This record gives sequence, structure tokens and C-alpha cells, in this order.
Amino acid sequence: MMRLRISSLLIAVVLLLSVVLPTTAQVYPLKNAPTLTYWMNVNTAWSNRFKTLGDTTFGLELAKRTGVNVVYTHPVPAQFDQSFNLMLASGDLPDLIQNNFLTKIPGGPDKAIKDGYLLRLNEAIAKWAPNLTAYLKAHPEVDKLVKSDEGNYYAFPFIRTDPYLMTYQGPIVRQDWLDELKLPVPVTIDDWTVMLKAFKEKKGATAPFAMAPYWGPTNAAWQSPAFVGAYGTLKNWYIDNGKVKFGPSDTQYKEFLKLFAGWYKAGLIDPNFALSDAKQRDAIYVAGMSGATVANIGGGIGYLVKLMEKVDPKARFVAAPYPVLKKSDKPEFGQMDLPFTGVAIAISAKTKNLETAVRYLDYGYSPDGAMFYNFGTPGVSYNMVGGYPTYTDFIMKNAKLSLQEAMGEHIRGSSDGPFLQDKRYAEQYFLLPEQKAAATLWSSTNAAKHLFPNLSPDKADIAEMSKIMSEVNTYVDEAFIKFVIGAEPVENFDKYLATLKQLKIDRAIAIYQKSYDDFLKR
Amino acid sequence: MPGKPKRLLNKNSLGWDLVQNKSLYLLMIPVLAYYLLFHYLPMYGAVMAFQDYSPMKGLFGSDFIGLQNFFDFFDSYYFWRIFGNTLIISFLSLAFEFTTPILLALMINELRSQKLSSVVKTVSVFPHFISLVIVCGMVKDFTSMNGIFNEIFKLFGYDGLSMLQKPELFRPIYIISGIWQNIGWDSIIYIAALMAIDQTLYEAAEIDGAGRWQQLWKVTIPCILPTIVVMFILRVGNIMNVGFEKIILLYNPINYETADVISSFVYRKGLIDFQWSYAAAVGLFNSVINLGLLLVANRLSKKVTQSSLW
Repeated sequence: MMRLRISSLLIAVVLLLSVVLPTTAQVYPLKNAPTLTYWMNVNTAWSNRFKTLGDTTFGLELAKRTGVNVVYTHPVPAQFDQSFNLMLASGDLPDLIQNNFLTKIPGGPDKAIKDGYLLRLNEAIAKWAPNLTAYLKAHPEVDKLVKSDEGNYYAFPFIRTDPYLMTYQGPIVRQDWLDELKLPVPVTIDDWTVMLKAFKEKKGATAPFAMAPYWGPTNAAWQSPAFVGAYGTLKNWYIDNGKVKFGPSDTQYKEFLKLFAGWYKAGLIDPNFALSDAKQRDAIYVAGMSGATVANIGGGIGYLVKLMEKVDPKARFVAAPYPVLKKSDKPEFGQMDLPFTGVAIAISAKTKNLETAVRYLDYGYSPDGAMFYNFGTPGVSYNMVGGYPTYTDFIMKNAKLSLQEAMGEHIRGSSDGPFLQDKRYAEQYFLLPEQKAAATLWSSTNAAKHLFPNLSPDKADIAEMSKIMSEVNTYVDEAFIKFVIGAEPVENFDKYLATLKQLKIDRAIAIYQKSYDDFLKR
Repeated sequence: MPGKPKRLLNKNSLGWDLVQNKSLYLLMIPVLAYYLLFHYLPMYGAVMAFQDYSPMKGLFGSDFIGLQNFFDFFDSYYFWRIFGNTLIISFLSLAFEFTTPILLALMINELRSQKLSSVVKTVSVFPHFISLVIVCGMVKDFTSMNGIFNEIFKLFGYDGLSMLQKPELFRPIYIISGIWQNIGWDSIIYIAALMAIDQTLYEAAEIDGAGRWQQLWKVTIPCILPTIVVMFILRVGNIMNVGFEKIILLYNPINYETADVISSFVYRKGLIDFQWSYAAAVGLFNSVINLGLLLVANRLSKKVTQSSLW
């Protein structure tokens, strides 16, 4: 009897204390936390050596630190979208789901909440996620992006905390060829034409400008703001002085088509561009058939230099600025992400462990957790050197693993997830001076003025929007390739615009304009 | 004993038959259950085509929107293109993929050497066991810029571009690879039918002075005609069912105009764009046309050849 009373008294005191003193130090590791299930994409940085993220050093340590065991499910990368849709259709949902909830769920997050897939997290975040709440309070511009149109929090966002992390892609050319041909790094479109011609004629390149995909199967280099941006439009949605615009329905778009059609006819573009995949892309470079493309800093410049090391050790790649028409112009468009692009971890409506899930996800936004997500364990993957978290040689100069692989095993800073991404990760990830220069060069554009925010139209308009855009996108892709390869002469551009009208592109623009106006009022 | 059931049951009734052949009926139950469970029961899902379906609300909770999905499909910019492509690819495969196995079977039948005949059979059946994904991977590789077919055709003045980048080449590639993959397998049933032909018929024909060609036309073909007709009717019933797997493995935005068919469209709408109800409506439309074609083919064949499915 007595024993029981003392122990219950003790429990009461502990409970009282935990209510009175809710410091983060006491939150983690969580006590007696149930196991969570987590559905997310794989990352090639670890997926060829580990079955799930939970098996990596990072995953094991995270479980220890948070006190939460997580069972991960990873769909096959090539069937990512289908697996996601099938999972939703089956109604058999894990606790945590990671995806881009702005682009991958037609109708957007608000509809997903209404349809009963995801939970609205406003109350739960206020109650159990003090770290995320604090960050969003301190950064209202990010808060605006993270919230849905209807003011719902629907997920724990992957947040890039510095502009340095938001620009990572642009045109690159082979420096050693430029040197040999005594050409400058191209600035204007005309420079580009001259350079590509020289590559073809003097270097024997059969695909001077390669357009194979660098960052996913559908986003080939022609989707990039480079080139099309020089004519004052984009391959996608953008904002121009408060007006929503759809690039492929702009009249300037014709000039861009003319350029590419001309290049294609002159043999300056990879003739198989529409079908090339990553394997063919590598083959093109190894064979010395190409000297320019659009690429990422890490997976592009770094990757290509490494790839060429064996075949042509002289090969060097340098970033070129986003091309312009006149030398004095500042590029109007360039690749630039928002701090939050929609990649986030949502909690499914099927969860029975809401509090644990929220607390677990909140860890990455705490000072301690953010350090762990970005840099791993002190003494193992990084050391503090003069206040700067410096990766150890184990990460930077691992004899067995590439930098990407070593990072994939120990941190999540080099991919995405529920945390605040740190600039200091990227500063060390970009090893080559060319890479460091690229980030600065590519970010000197006016892209920020045209950034298209995460919009989710009204419920009534969503179905119409997705119906219109699925036809429009098919048509735009198809027409682009036909114009470029000359199957359709560019003179027929007016017919193309008329077809877009027939597909109700104006209505789609109007719907987005309305939600953009709402966004500004958020 | 035999007198009792006679009084209770009419000899022609189902009950009588059940009692008489109970072990046969017992054998039939698994098959019947299979069809009920996997082919008839899921049909209630077709209701989805008339709804604005949401999995979380379920079939009973989703809003009814009548024929809206069907109208949307008929109004779609791509309706005529995918409808036309489906018909063209179907008829092409009916014309070539259906007829070539018959020819192969007849040729194998005429082979004198047993050894050669079994070699031909094995070699021609073999591709059927290769996974479709791998077949398509091979097709892509062989027809790509540095692929073997491309290199060969270059000798005859082909421009060397990847063949799948040319809309006009999609259908030949699709059909020829289909023939290659299925000719052996599909010919098995005809070979079986050929073996069942009574040899005395040939002897009689020979005595009557028929040559090989005449034997072929007057004996072989009429004997396997019922098999051909049944296979033909089944095929016609499937005419709109161009399998989406092979199409989506081979198509790309450049050859959409000749390659995109109803089933690949349904796949994109349903699994990529999330429009389940719309996809269900398109699929249902497809099935209704198939059923109609099946009925017409059956009626025709009854009239022309007296053999039919029912």
C-alpha cells in the first residue's frame, strides 16, 4: 500500500514538474514513444548501401536522440508518383508522409485535409511544436508560404534558410574548350550561338548543347529559365508586376522557339534531346560530343568533372551567367527556389500517435536538432572549429565513399526533410572553386521579382484547373518538341496560341490570378 | 432409389442435373468463385464513373455528378486522337499479330523434320517469357541513336535519329515487336488444332489426287477454322483494349500523336493526375464499345461460318 502511494506521489510530482518546466532539454528523447511509420522517397546517396533511412548512421542516431523508432517505407524511385497515388487510394496511410504537397496532390493541401487524407495541424503545432512555431513567428515571410490559402498548417516544411541554398542551377560550358578556342565565357545569346558553332566545327561536337535531364526524368534542360529567360518569359508560371503569366502562352515565347529551332537545324542541339536519359547523357560527355548544358552545382558540375577525370582529365566545367540579349542587360530570369517549395512531412488522418509525431518532427527545428540534421554527430561527422561546424575528414576525404555518399549516411542536410537547412552545409559540399563561383553567378538575376508562390486555388476551381492544365501541359510539351525539330514550322505559332486558347488557358490564368491576389492578402 | 428423384424433379430441370452431375458441379465451383470474386464483384466500382469520387469518402459517400465525366471526355481536345489511335493500333494488330501465328502454325505443320519443327517451336515461343519491361528496354536500345537497327538502316540511307523520335515509326515498331514476342506462343493453340486433324482425311485427299496446296486449302484450313473463328471473336472483343503497359514503356511526347491510346490516357488521368472518376468513365466507355464489338462479331460469325461463342 505504502509503496504504491509513494510511487504515485512521485509520478504526480514528475508530471507537475514537466508541466511547469517544459524545456526542450527534457523533451528529447521522448519517453515510451510508440513506433511511427514514415513514407518517403529514397536518396541514391544511401539507397545502394542501406535498405531504409532507419538503417543509416543518421537514422539510428536520430532514433536514439528523439526516442522514437521509425519504420520507413520507400517506394521505387521510378514509380514514386504512382506509389503515392495508390497509397492514397488504398486509404492505408502511414503516420508520416513526405512529398511535395503543393505539386503532387491535385487540389492542394486544403483539399487533402477536407478529403480526409491529412490532418490540419494548427492546434497540434501550437501545442507540441514549440521550435517550428518559434521559427515561423520569427520569419513571417516563410510562414506565409508554409500556410495554405485557407490558413491551415498541413505539414512540417523543409526550409532553406539562406538564399545561397535556393539557387543551384544554371548553364555550364566546358572551360578547356573555351580556352583552346580562345573564346570568352558566353554572356549573350549571340555569344552562345558563336560558341556552339565553334564547338561543332572545331571540336567536332555532334551534340554541342546537351539537354539531357540532370534533375529528374521530366525536367530536361529546356525547362530551365536559361535561354527562354533571355526573351522575357519562362517555360512555366511566373509573376510579372503583380500579373500571373503562363510563359508558353506569351508571344515572346515564339522568339525562344525560333532560337532553338535554328540551333537544332544547325546541328547545335543534341539531336536526340527529347529521348535522352541519364545514361545517354553520360555517354555524350564521355565521347566528347557535347560542351554545354544546364546543370546543378553538385549533381552537375561536380559530377561531370568526376566523370571526365578518367577519359579526359583536362576537362573543366565553368558556370556561364544566365544568357541575355544585350551585354549590358541583367538577366531577368534565373533559377531560384522559394525558401519553402512544398516539400514537407505531413501527418496522415489515420495516425493514432499525433502528439509523438508532432514532437518527433519538431526536433529538426530546434537548435540542437537542426545541427544534428545538417552536420550529424559531433566528433564523428563534424567538429566545431572556431565556432564553425566543420565536417570531419571521415566525411570530406573518405577513401571508400564519395562526399555525397558519406553525407547521405550521416546527415540529411544534403537532401531534404523536416528541418532547417543550414548554409554552412553547402559551403563545404561545393568542393571546387567553380562550384563556389557558380552559386554567386547564377543568383545575380532579377528572378526574385518573378517568383511564383505556392498557390492553392479555391475548392470549386481546383478540379477545373487540373483538367485544363493536364491537357495544356501535354500540348505544350508536344508542341515545343515539334517546333524545335521542325516538324511544325515556327510560323504556325499563331495556330499554337489559338489551340492554347481553345484549351482554356485564359481561364487557368484567371484562376491563378485570383488565388495570387488572395495570397498577397494572406 | 432411381424412382424417387423422378417424382420430385423434372428430368430437364437444373435440380435434376445438379444431383446427377454433382461432382462435375463441385469441380466448377472454384472457377465460378474466381469469376464472381475477381470479375463480377469489382464491377460495382464502375459507379465511380458517375461520381466525383474521393477514396476517403468511399463509393457511398462521394457526390453523384451524373454523366459529367463522359461529357468531359467527349469534349476533350484529345478525344479523337486517342480514339483514332486505339482503333488504328487495334486493327493493325488484328491484321498482323492475329494472322502471323496462324501462318507460323501452318508452316510448322508442313515441316517434315521433327527436329527442325521442335527447334522452331522452342525458338519462336521463347520471347514470350521475357518480361515486357525488358522487351521494351531492348526495343528502345536497338532503335536508339547508336542502336543496332539504326546502324543497319543507316547503311540504306536512314538519317540515324532515334526511331522512337519519329511518330510515323511508332506503329511499325509496336506491331513488329509484338509479333516477335507473341508469334510462337499464339501459334500453340493452332498447332494443337492441326494435330487433332484426322490423318485419314489427308489420305483420302491424296487418293483423290490432291496436291499439298489443295490439301492445305481443302483439308487443313477448314479443319482449324472453328479455332480461328473463336480466337478471332475473342480478339475482336478486345479490340479497344490496347494494353497500356507497352504503350507507356515506348511512348514519349514526340510520338504521342500516333502512340497515345485510350488505356494510356486512362493510366495518366487515373494514376498520374489523380482524376479517378474521369479515368473510370473513360475506361467504362472503352468496355462498352468492346462489348458491342464482341456481340457484332459473334452475330456475324454465326451467319457466315455457323460457329460462334454462344
